[in-house]
Amino acid sequence: MADSDYDFEEDASDDEYIGSKAASGRSSRASGAVGLGKRKTQEKEKGKATLAWERRGSEASIEYDLELDGDLDLGEESIRQSVQEKEEERKRKRLRKDTKPFQRGIIRHVVLVLDLSEAMLEKDMRPNRYITMIKYTQEYVREFFEQNPISQMSVLGMHDGLCIRVSELSGNPADHIAAIQGLRFPRNPKDIPKEPKGSPSLQNALELARATLYHTPSHGTREVIIVFGSLLSLDPGDIHQTIKACVRDRIRVSIIGMSARLRICQEIVSRTNAGDESEYVVATDQELLRELLLATTTPPVVRKDRSAASAESTAALMMMGFPSRVVQDVPTLCACHGVLTSGGYTCPRCAAKVCSLPVTCPSCQLTLLLSTHLARSYHHLFPLRNWAEVSWRRAREKGSVECVGCLAVFPKPPPEDPEAGARGGGGGDDEMAVDGPVGGGGKKQAPEDEEESEEQRASESSRYECRVCESHFCIDCDMFCHMVLHNCPGCLSHEPGAG
Amino acid sequence: MNAIDGTVRQVKTDDTPPPSLLAIVLDTNPHAWAHLSSTLPLSSAIANLLVFINAHLASGNANEVAVIASHSRRAQWLYPTPKGPISHHPSSNGDANGDIEMNGVSHPNGSTTTTTPAKENANKYRPFSTVENAILSNLSNLLSSTTESDLASTPTTLIGGALSLALTHIAKSTLLHSPVDPLASDNPLSALADSESVARTQRIPLTSRILIISVSGDLANQYIPVMNSIFAAQRKRIPIDILKLAGDTVLLQQASDATGGVYMKPERPEGLLQYLMMAFLPDAVARRSLVMPSAGGVDFRAACFCHRKVVDIGYVCSVCLSIFCEPNLPGNLCLTCGSYLSLRAAQTATPALVARKKKKRKRVAGTDSATPSGTPAATTPMHP
Ligand SMILES: [Zn+2]
Ligand SMILES: [Zn+2]
Ligand SMILES: [Zn+2]
Ligand SMILES: [Zn+2]
Ligand SMILES: [Zn+2]
Ligand SMILES: [Zn+2]
Repeated sequence: MADSDYDFEEDASDDEYIGSKAASGRSSRASGAVGLGKRKTQEKEKGKATLAWERRGSEASIEYDLELDGDLDLGEESIRQSVQEKEEERKRKRLRKDTKPFQRGIIRHVVLVLDLSEAMLEKDMRPNRYITMIKYTQEYVREFFEQNPISQMSVLGMHDGLCIRVSELSGNPADHIAAIQGLRFPRNPKDIPKEPKGSPSLQNALELARATLYHTPSHGTREVIIVFGSLLSLDPGDIHQTIKACVRDRIRVSIIGMSARLRICQEIVSRTNAGDESEYVVATDQELLRELLLATTTPPVVRKDRSAASAESTAALMMMGFPSRVVQDVPTLCACHGVLTSGGYTCPRCAAKVCSLPVTCPSCQLTLLLSTHLARSYHHLFPLRNWAEVSWRRAREKGSVECVGCLAVFPKPPPEDPEAGARGGGGGDDEMAVDGPVGGGGKKQAPEDEEESEEQRASESSRYECRVCESHFCIDCDMFCHMVLHNCPGCLSHEPGAG
Repeated sequence: MNAIDGTVRQVKTDDTPPPSLLAIVLDTNPHAWAHLSSTLPLSSAIANLLVFINAHLASGNANEVAVIASHSRRAQWLYPTPKGPISHHPSSNGDANGDIEMNGVSHPNGSTTTTTPAKENANKYRPFSTVENAILSNLSNLLSSTTESDLASTPTTLIGGALSLALTHIAKSTLLHSPVDPLASDNPLSALADSESVARTQRIPLTSRILIISVSGDLANQYIPVMNSIFAAQRKRIPIDILKLAGDTVLLQQASDATGGVYMKPERPEGLLQYLMMAFLPDAVARRSLVMPSAGGVDFRAACFCHRKVVDIGYVCSVCLSIFCEPNLPGNLCLTCGSYLSLRAAQTATPALVARKKKKRKRVAGTDSATPSGTPAATTPMHP
């Protein structure tokens, strides 16, 4: 029985797309097994709109896989199991691959370039690419500053062969979100909402990005992240010269394409990233777009070759102010907005009052922040290593019954079976083959460490093991600990040497 | 434009009050409780805490509770009881009465506290006694398994581990309570997501909060784990309440400040029950209409890594973010990571306003002599 799991999963994935189309009209006989049934029947009457929902990624396809599989007449238990495995695998793929203690560029200067050309009117994302992009980039900006509190960002837009500035380089997420929102819903009622039109120009975008990043201090990174929906770039001059200039200014460009790969994008990325093309990825659906965007919130690894080339650019001792909070009975003017506020933070150098942190002091240009802002970046510097999948054999050996983090009960190991051990590895390889169409999405350069270079896969025993404390966790805790908490509850609740 | 997405998504509203999960982290650091034993012995603190837990359970049908002990060398579940291979010794000295006296035996090690009764008290509300028995037996197991060498080795407590356990438990419970849209709820971003086409749905989610009853002083060795926990709580919108019975730490003060919890440091610890019931019983919903005790000014200044001196202007290594109190490091090498550092302001004064001019492109192209052909005329629209 166990043997069929993987094979069957592979088949299912191959047929996935056809399956989901064909299944729209079918009755959902197996849906009860996953508990998605209710939602589906709700959605079903909505006719065409179902399509949009179908595209929302694996959630939809899982259910339809089920129906296909029902025809194959497999036991309900194994269906449930493989659905669960697939779900876990999907989740684990999202784990950021930043678990190696690389030196990272914590202080980032990022120019986010949005494609506002007519290609963004395509409806392969719902309702269309443009609206999807606007929606996800707002999330993205928030997440970016959550992860990189002492970084700066600027947003540009490309349309009609031009590159326009959407928001200035600043460290305030609210500014950027308002500006991105303002593309569709201008704050000034006289402005017309921007609709995608014309063609984008990569050259103009790179030039404007270069101008924006020109004055940023050299100890920070200079990054350009382009969301690029079209399949052409309308440039006024020789883009290769611009690429050269970007390389010289040590700007690294990441491009998130849509629908297909472009030679010129590949070249831009590879030239500006020292030959590494993994920063050029193509989003084939909106879930992937969101994931690819979020992947760039992790600070980039500082490359060794580069630091050798320009040693002075890597590290610096930065003067920063740690202001104290003042509580005032009488409102006074703040230096940042010029409005009356009671309370705020005073700059320790010039005593100007600012409303929120982190901020650059408007009067003396000192960077003001809280020590907690620095602490927020520590998890990039001391990352929590990815947890390993646990084979049944290992689970039996450790005798783990429940998740250390949340006390959820694990499935019992199946009775001892000599074949079981041999099968585990083979099954894994099959899965590797399945995730082909992603097109290198999220696959970073192969790290040296063999252990960590493996794709993050689902574990057959639903357990994930911390390599340090050997505690076993469930998939939910795995996700939570790596994406939100950045602590291992197991390691932290037993001091080394304690019983 | 919105009209393209023709789905009508209904938001179901439910009138029942949201279930509330209270995760209590009880600092059981034996050193600190020994100090407190004259005013508030651990056993009576536990008795008070149990009354508080019962009050929480009683104030909502679906309310849940989780209790974690942050002990000297480990953090351990008190409730729910783990079944894991870390087996606890079956309790042997059963007391006939499941209840313990409010001013019970004042033994800091708690070796004489009551344990699981053999039979249940018929006059007691069942959920109360379940929780109570579990906490009491787990706690006495924890205390009796503490060896002298454990006590001697460290004066502090594993608050970071206990917090992490509480957070993972809350995260999982939250997931279980919102089974309809797993895609959204397992993603930290969902809370921030623009609601445009995301279905705002279904059930009223679980509201959770964490209460730390802390008696230990210095938690500096736990700085990074605790900070990570604070940020996780902040992102998940889980308030962390602090009841500081003894000692003082800036870290926990920052925890409650960052997450919007209550910080309280009572003058008279023996009034524990009063503080618990008055300040910590209301959940997040009720707090909106109450005036909650606040910590007032919070010390946000940073301590330098070299002398632990509190500074308001510091020098930060751009590689490892260590804070130093003066810029003259020996050999200009970072004391933490060893990088060679050059001194400069974090932000060069950016002439951002200049870049706003229409001619910005020319200015850039001018600085770049190696671009002979490319002076892209940004202002000229280029139509195909
Ligand atoms: Zn202001
Ligand atoms: Zn200032
Ligand atoms: Zn778990
Ligand atoms: Zn661990
Ligand atoms: Zn110092
Ligand atoms: Zn350093």
